[in-house]
Amino acid sequence: MIPFQYVKPSKPKAAIDTVAKDQTAMFIAGGTNLVDLMKRDVLNPEKLVDINKLPLRKIERENGTVRIGALALNGAVAEDKLVLEKHPLLSQALNAGASAQLRNMATVGGNMMQRVRCPYYYDTAMPCNKREPGTGCSAIEGYNRMHAIFGHSDKCIAVNPSDMNVALVALDAVVLVSGPKGDRKIPFGEFHRLPGDTPHIHTNLQQGELIMAVDVPENPYTKNVHYLKVRDRNSYAFALVSVAAALDLDGSNIKSARLAMGGVAHKPWRLQEAEQFLAGKPANEATFRQAAEVAMRGAKAFEHNQFKLKLGPNTIVQALKNAAGAV
Amino acid sequence: MPQDKFPDQHLPEGEGGQAQHSDARRTFLKQSSLLTALALAPPAALKAAELKFEEKVAAVFEQVKVTLGINGKKQKLSIEPRTTLLDLLREQLHLTGTKKGCDYGQCGACTVHVDGQRVLSCLTLAAMADGKEITTIEGLANGDKLHPMQEAFIKHDGFQCGYCTPGQIMSAVACIKEGHADSDDEIREYMSGNICRCGAYPNIVNAIKEVKNGGHKV
Amino acid sequence: MKDYFFQDTVGKPMDRVDGRQKVTGAAKYSAEYELPNMAHAVLVGSTIARGSIKSIDTKRAENAPGVLAVLHYQNSIKVPGYVQEAHPTEPKPAGKPLQVFIDNQIHFNDQPIAVVVADTLERAMYAAKLVKVQYNVEKHATDFHQNVSKAVLPTVAKRNPKHGLNDYVRGKEDAYKTEPLKIESEYVIPTEFHNPMELQSIIAHWEADNKLTVYDKTQAVIGTQNAFAKDWGIPVQNVKVIATYVGGAFGNGLHTWPHETAAIIAAKKVNRPVKLMLTREQMFTMVGYRPHAWQKVGMSATKDGKITAITHEAIGQTSSYEEFTESTLQQTRMMYTSPNVTTRYRILPLNVSTPIWMRGPGEATGAFALECALDEMAYVIGMDPLEFRLINHTDKDPEKNLPWSTKYLKEAMQMGAEKIGWRKRQLQPGMVKNGEWLVGYGMGVGTFGANRGRAKVKATLHKDGTLVMQSATTDIGPGTGTAMVQIAAQNLGLPPEKIVFELGSSLYPPSPSQGGSATVATVGSAVHAVCQVLKKRLTSMVAGNSDTSFKGATVENLTFKDGYVSLTASPSARLSFGDILKQQNLPELEVTEESSPDASLRQKYSMYSYSVHFAEVQVHPLTGQIRVTNMVSCADAGTIINAKTAGNQMIGGAVGGIGMALTEGAIMDHRFGRYVTKDLAEYHVPVHADAPNISSLFVNKPDLINNPNGTKGIGEIAIIGVAPAIANAIFNATGKRIRELPITPDKLMMV
Repeated sequence: MIPFQYVKPSKPKAAIDTVAKDQTAMFIAGGTNLVDLMKRDVLNPEKLVDINKLPLRKIERENGTVRIGALALNGAVAEDKLVLEKHPLLSQALNAGASAQLRNMATVGGNMMQRVRCPYYYDTAMPCNKREPGTGCSAIEGYNRMHAIFGHSDKCIAVNPSDMNVALVALDAVVLVSGPKGDRKIPFGEFHRLPGDTPHIHTNLQQGELIMAVDVPENPYTKNVHYLKVRDRNSYAFALVSVAAALDLDGSNIKSARLAMGGVAHKPWRLQEAEQFLAGKPANEATFRQAAEVAMRGAKAFEHNQFKLKLGPNTIVQALKNAAGAV
Repeated sequence: MPQDKFPDQHLPEGEGGQAQHSDARRTFLKQSSLLTALALAPPAALKAAELKFEEKVAAVFEQVKVTLGINGKKQKLSIEPRTTLLDLLREQLHLTGTKKGCDYGQCGACTVHVDGQRVLSCLTLAAMADGKEITTIEGLANGDKLHPMQEAFIKHDGFQCGYCTPGQIMSAVACIKEGHADSDDEIREYMSGNICRCGAYPNIVNAIKEVKNGGHKV
Repeated sequence: MKDYFFQDTVGKPMDRVDGRQKVTGAAKYSAEYELPNMAHAVLVGSTIARGSIKSIDTKRAENAPGVLAVLHYQNSIKVPGYVQEAHPTEPKPAGKPLQVFIDNQIHFNDQPIAVVVADTLERAMYAAKLVKVQYNVEKHATDFHQNVSKAVLPTVAKRNPKHGLNDYVRGKEDAYKTEPLKIESEYVIPTEFHNPMELQSIIAHWEADNKLTVYDKTQAVIGTQNAFAKDWGIPVQNVKVIATYVGGAFGNGLHTWPHETAAIIAAKKVNRPVKLMLTREQMFTMVGYRPHAWQKVGMSATKDGKITAITHEAIGQTSSYEEFTESTLQQTRMMYTSPNVTTRYRILPLNVSTPIWMRGPGEATGAFALECALDEMAYVIGMDPLEFRLINHTDKDPEKNLPWSTKYLKEAMQMGAEKIGWRKRQLQPGMVKNGEWLVGYGMGVGTFGANRGRAKVKATLHKDGTLVMQSATTDIGPGTGTAMVQIAAQNLGLPPEKIVFELGSSLYPPSPSQGGSATVATVGSAVHAVCQVLKKRLTSMVAGNSDTSFKGATVENLTFKDGYVSLTASPSARLSFGDILKQQNLPELEVTEESSPDASLRQKYSMYSYSVHFAEVQVHPLTGQIRVTNMVSCADAGTIINAKTAGNQMIGGAVGGIGMALTEGAIMDHRFGRYVTKDLAEYHVPVHADAPNISSLFVNKPDLINNPNGTKGIGEIAIIGVAPAIANAIFNATGKRIRELPITPDKLMMV
């Protein structure tokens, strides 16, 4: 790691001002991804602003939403009574990610900010547009088994590696942000970006903007939910494909549904057309299979991730089956 | 709040912590001549300055002071912000029971408890643990009396080479405390952050079950 | 010999003698010694796979805070005897190991090209990133499949027509081709990495100009000592190698690697002790691996299950500068009765680093192909694969035409089949289900030479009745010290708690490297020998004592038990070992004994360990998720010294085999000749959730032809045959035959 300065302010405004006025400064919360990237010379902030003193850890009910502080730990959120009661899908997704130790360190805000896991991004000896704009995307014609099938560009085909994000986008979460120009709310689906021509811009946060909390509005998806993650080993691995499925059932009929995928795009991939297709249909495998076909429209794979075109819809079907069967 | 255990004694309490402090130093160093720096620098900086490397002078200033509770003992240390808790423990405090297996948070060998929670010391900047209570494998036993989990690992041969073992044990203790040891599958899932390349996993699961079912206080 | 029928100590599931050190963090591994004024070294690796260094700019690194030296081919201290040989215990490979900092040539990507030394680890790591290198790039060849036509017969085989790596034909060459019932399949295993949890580390300390101490992660204390003495042109006794605890190795400590010499060079240069620990990425490029291999098996059989012919070909990758070979095809030559067997082994040099034996080594690679092929053949003739193997079982070695020293494989198969519930298996795939999950059963057989070498043990019996033994072997995890204590306890009649076995230091009498599953047979025999001599010496002491009833006693009419000697005929009269020494006015009794195998027995018998592995798997038909839900691993490994540690070895091998079958495989981007899966998040070794209940069962019958303790090795057979057992179980569950490892959900999806 390069030598850097370390500061630990106790008020959000001080933290925001410090990062806002210094392009070389970054916030650090759990550090589980940032410290990793600093060790590998991928990120070299000259100043770290440790935000752990800021009062952003609470999980509380607020005007029909569950408000989760940005510094709430992934492990704590997954086991929080309110989250388990109102948003069990979020709990499942969080528990599918990383390891118990990492979940004890990683924060909700940090999880949203984690970078792609593309090996070319991590290895400074190979070109990567995300790390060094203009050098080229090594994955497009290289190793792309873990890469995107939706929303990729000719500049970048990496995927967002988070499980939590998949659940939050499905649950219509809203991100509360504070910045040098004041506060704003960002719908979760607009927080992350597609790579387009600017894969080096990772999210829609501006310099100095700090995630304060995530609001997850209460909804009917408290029972028939399932987060299914298919990976190369049975735990502690990133998703080949994951699916967050939530159903609101009236007997055996679907009143409404929520569906999102992970491991398939540069952002958590909400499947709204498939959701609309599911609404009003019987909750059976045939319906799920048709919804999966709708969901996969427009998917385009590369040399090594062709399997996602098959694994994707199969995982959707299975996640929906599990959700429908859940008690 | 855990931070309150060791009240800050060194940080000028105010917005930005020691930010202005360090900023000023760095700017000063960048702008002023070495001669001026020498007038203010401690002896180590003097020595560095003789070598005429401005960066070396700067390095002397880029230390932060922290107070860590390590295995029940309060330690005041001056460290570089980039020093991880793992490297601090192993290289400076010679507590080598905590192991480096990957340095990227991918193996669990460096697991320690910080304020009672299992975390990875390789991804924890030591500066960020200021004021916290850290328990390493060396602090688990009660004097000569081993912790029940240590006893169970010996009994069930929950290791071979022993390198991942401190991390496995720290994690196993937490696994029970967290209430995640109710079935074999639950133990396996919640211990999956600790890799054992020798493959002693089934024995580790048996050790954890014995401690859990034995009603031992962990 | 009757000793082996008193199961007093041998066989007991004794706790490890070093368990307390390991669970308290007190066990010190190579990077954990505290030396005054120690500096830290970090290696800089090349970023091209082939070419030369055009320029190397170290100015920024040298000027960085705390940096003591930046060494590379232009300014490195020259290693005087720099023809770095492999360990003497290794067969001499063609070519030679990579020599660090001797020239500007690049042979593989991430080749160590410079070492940065600084006063702290953080500063060394930072400065290493400031070294800037420009290259003359040459076209590299790293893609196995693109270059497979360039595979060659290994030089050792070319030089010696009798060498075992030459082509082998028993009966008619390629006889399967003309048979009516046959299979012909190709199998691929990717490059796999040992990835022990301890990163390869060394502390190098020049105690004087010609006196070197290294704390080194190695499986060969004496081999390392000899190698460094030769490198530096100093007397062997001036090199001290300490490896008291080794945090796993699985074979990658069987070679001296460039980083070790880099650290020694650095220590010499800065005149301080230097610690160097590889990064996890460097573990993928600098300390060997199981080589990528292509294999083809042709097999034919009669309808009633007799194998009529097997042809097995293998090509394994090696580096461009050193030929690495292994016994990939051995099992095919000797395991089954087939009258016609053909094997052909080739190696393929590529611009990659040199492989090294990885647990089970070539035999595990070969067994994957052979044992899958057997399953395929059994399916073609509609026979249960267990029955098929029993039909083709052979009671003598068909390759050497010799009897086995011992072979209890059939017993092992029966034990395992019973335990896993083989009867539940259906001949047709996809017939057994658990909810939505498809259930399958598979088996695989493994074998490995029951090796034994020469070792020396020093034993000191103290007048307090304690025994301290020393030998320069290591313990990379199997529990060497524990087994040796038990063997001594059994042979000497002394409680194990009174015995200490010290290892991992070149100051002790020599033992060979800890490899090839030979440690217990080798060092255990020396412990046996030393105990026999101790008994004789104690006997002559008591026998010479004229005023006691022991006068004229012989070893045969004495009983040695619990640290006492008594007359077998009248056990009430007894003397403690300590009292015997006191009577002689001896503070201690020291004996050093060497033990070697009887070479003539190897001309009369063929000696192997055997294993058979049974796997139950569940596969999800939609998502391709695979779970191993039960495993039974059985071994004929002679006498089991410690049921607990031996069982653990078998379990560990099974977990390693799960990794081989399902999760492990390195992927290289051949445009760069650089791995893209070089950490533990991208290269998947099994985690807790991948390991089911694993039962390990032993036949536990001694092989007294092999050695006086009756043991045969366990470490290798524990993994050999596991991967095919799982692959075969997946076929039985799904009807899908995946012949390229690892079997991941995407491969099942795309069949």
